[in-house]
Amino acid sequence: MKTAVTVPKNRNRRSLSKTDRFTLSAFVGIPSLLQIVLLWVPAVVTVVLSFTYWDGINIKDIHWAGIQNYKNIFINNPIFYQALKNNGIWLAFFLLIATPLGVLLAYQIDRGIKGHAIYESIYYLPVVLSLAVIGIIWNFMFQPGGFVQGIMGRDLAHALSIWGNPQINTWVILGVASWRHIGYIMLLYLSGLKSVDPALKEAAAIDGATEWQIFRKIILPTMQPVNIIILVITLIESLRAFDLVYIIYGSPTVFPLLNLLVFQNFAGQGISMKGAAYAVILLLLCIIPIITYLRVVFKEDLK
Amino acid sequence: MSEEKNTVSRRSVLKGAAIGGAGLAAGSALSAGTATSASAAGADIHWTTRGGGATGDAIAKAVNDAFTAKTGTKVIAQQVNSDDFQNNFAQIMQGSPDDAFGWMAGWRSNHYGEAGLLADVTAQNKALGKSLPASAVQAATNPVDKKQYIIPTTYYPWGLHYRKSMVKKIGMNPESIVHWDDLIKMMTLTKKNGLVAYAMGDKQGWEAMGTFDILNARVNGYKYHIDLLNGRAKWTDAKTKETFKYFAKLIPFMNPNFMDIDWDGCRDLLLQKMCGAMMMGSWFANDFKAKSQKDYDDLWVVPFPEINKAHGIDTIDAPLDGISVAAKGKNVEGGKALAQFWGSKEGINAAIGAGDTNIYVSKDFDTSGYDAFGKQKLAVLGSAKNIMFFADRDSRGDFAGPILGPALQSFMKNPKNVNKILENTQAQWEALPKN
Repeated sequence: MKTAVTVPKNRNRRSLSKTDRFTLSAFVGIPSLLQIVLLWVPAVVTVVLSFTYWDGINIKDIHWAGIQNYKNIFINNPIFYQALKNNGIWLAFFLLIATPLGVLLAYQIDRGIKGHAIYESIYYLPVVLSLAVIGIIWNFMFQPGGFVQGIMGRDLAHALSIWGNPQINTWVILGVASWRHIGYIMLLYLSGLKSVDPALKEAAAIDGATEWQIFRKIILPTMQPVNIIILVITLIESLRAFDLVYIIYGSPTVFPLLNLLVFQNFAGQGISMKGAAYAVILLLLCIIPIITYLRVVFKEDLK
Repeated sequence: MSEEKNTVSRRSVLKGAAIGGAGLAAGSALSAGTATSASAAGADIHWTTRGGGATGDAIAKAVNDAFTAKTGTKVIAQQVNSDDFQNNFAQIMQGSPDDAFGWMAGWRSNHYGEAGLLADVTAQNKALGKSLPASAVQAATNPVDKKQYIIPTTYYPWGLHYRKSMVKKIGMNPESIVHWDDLIKMMTLTKKNGLVAYAMGDKQGWEAMGTFDILNARVNGYKYHIDLLNGRAKWTDAKTKETFKYFAKLIPFMNPNFMDIDWDGCRDLLLQKMCGAMMMGSWFANDFKAKSQKDYDDLWVVPFPEINKAHGIDTIDAPLDGISVAAKGKNVEGGKALAQFWGSKEGINAAIGAGDTNIYVSKDFDTSGYDAFGKQKLAVLGSAKNIMFFADRDSRGDFAGPILGPALQSFMKNPKNVNKILENTQAQWEALPKN
């Protein structure tokens, strides 16, 4: 066993010609370099800047601020907690409702229920639209003077407050976001399901397993790699939510989200390094759960 | 430089793909985009037209051609998206900026001037001499270093707009809304008629600043207002709270869906005869004209009524625009000469000839051809001796948008929370970096 591993390794190394080596290093090196320059350097710079005061103009004006930006965000900014809450609700809604719904749909369509091709197209349709376009569509529907308001016979002065009404706007926005997310998840899961060997299901069915048992004990474990992707996507989509809400409101403050606050405090004339601090908070919120989750999963796999 | 520019620049457009860390890296790439395909002749001057579409281009061409005819120097112009230009201003100015462009007085020119991005045009304003009123020159002067970074050209008033026919219908004299009590009476009567009494839209978070500005100036005076916006007075002060008491009195008269509409929603309320009064900048009058001459003739504007006798109606929000010169442009002297030309009589006439409907501050500006509404705009501007530039230009950028805007929104949603909101606003002001 040991020799079997080492022999091809040596052969591989020896067989690399100069051109191969050059090609390989170019293919690995250039993307890595771009990744470092375009992603990691700015990320590190952002982390450093989050501990400074700066208006983004002259480098010489950067002053050390210690943890003041963070202190300011955590102590004085009620809008931060609103944003955190909105992102939290978004994540919970996606994790508990939208993503499972997408998985369920994929499963049903894979089983070949009647008219599955039609369902597939219907749910897939929103996925081809960008969230910005979706924002434009639904804003056109719900805004005062919009289509839905018109159907209800409400003119501009008597239009129902939907986007500006804190009691319902969260759910309307999540509904609109799910409209796309469900289809997206469905598509990913469906492509995974297609690769599951039907013999597994048949065998289980012959042994007398119920549908639910087959799904839980056979499908889910077989789909482990896809599950990870879907979980990570759900997490990231929820935390990085931005375009839909920005298009609908044109401002970051009626329905604050962390990413909107990063934008407002890090671009244009509202720039201060509070924006960098928001970005760092968001970064930590994104990568800590993902890294933890992936470590756990890979550890299990190694066992 | 059409009036449209002013409104477009305030309306946010999605351009935020480059946020977070990437924003920093993107800055240099964006600024590279502004480099024009210039011929190498050093004497050429580069001009940026800040939005305005075809009218903007036509006006720029007329003025720049007139400049070329006079001096023989070629001007190369390009139009940019106004929001992109504004949001990436610092990066553009540090890259390879065009030499001169339309810009905004107040914090937006003072701050970038102090940072060394805009050239000092004090000499050019001096050369324009008596054609510029002292108040405009004063308004274009940075209070910190006493330098001028902008040549003042146009402005527009924020006032109380209404339709004369509607005020007449409820039994009031349309031209006599002069005191707070008149406004309350007018609003009460309009509300009784089942209409919105005071149109408000604050979806984007800046619109309500207009109402706040004028209330604070009426209650506490110009000086207090400017002091407050610059940290020399406190948000927790009893005087500030007094302003918010008046603000709270307005809220029951507003359309309940004010968080769902923005400024053009307010305009439509007035256009469709659904509201009585609307506090707004006069830039939208062209939209009334576009609908019908009858609608335009019905439109009226008065200064926001008096509240405190001590201050009368001596203050107005009238954002001042002008021409600035990039300090890091390739042809700074040329840029200054072009900017001065834009502020001169010949430049103004060329602009107006090409369809510019703005009100110019210059005394060389001929107002005799103005219609009734235009003359009333001038009268409203003339009634005030103190000019505010709107809260987002009178205060620092990291306060107005990210802090004051949301504070006003949460106040309007829940006016009873005023003390907490003001305490919080003050705390956030104090946490701003001191420079």
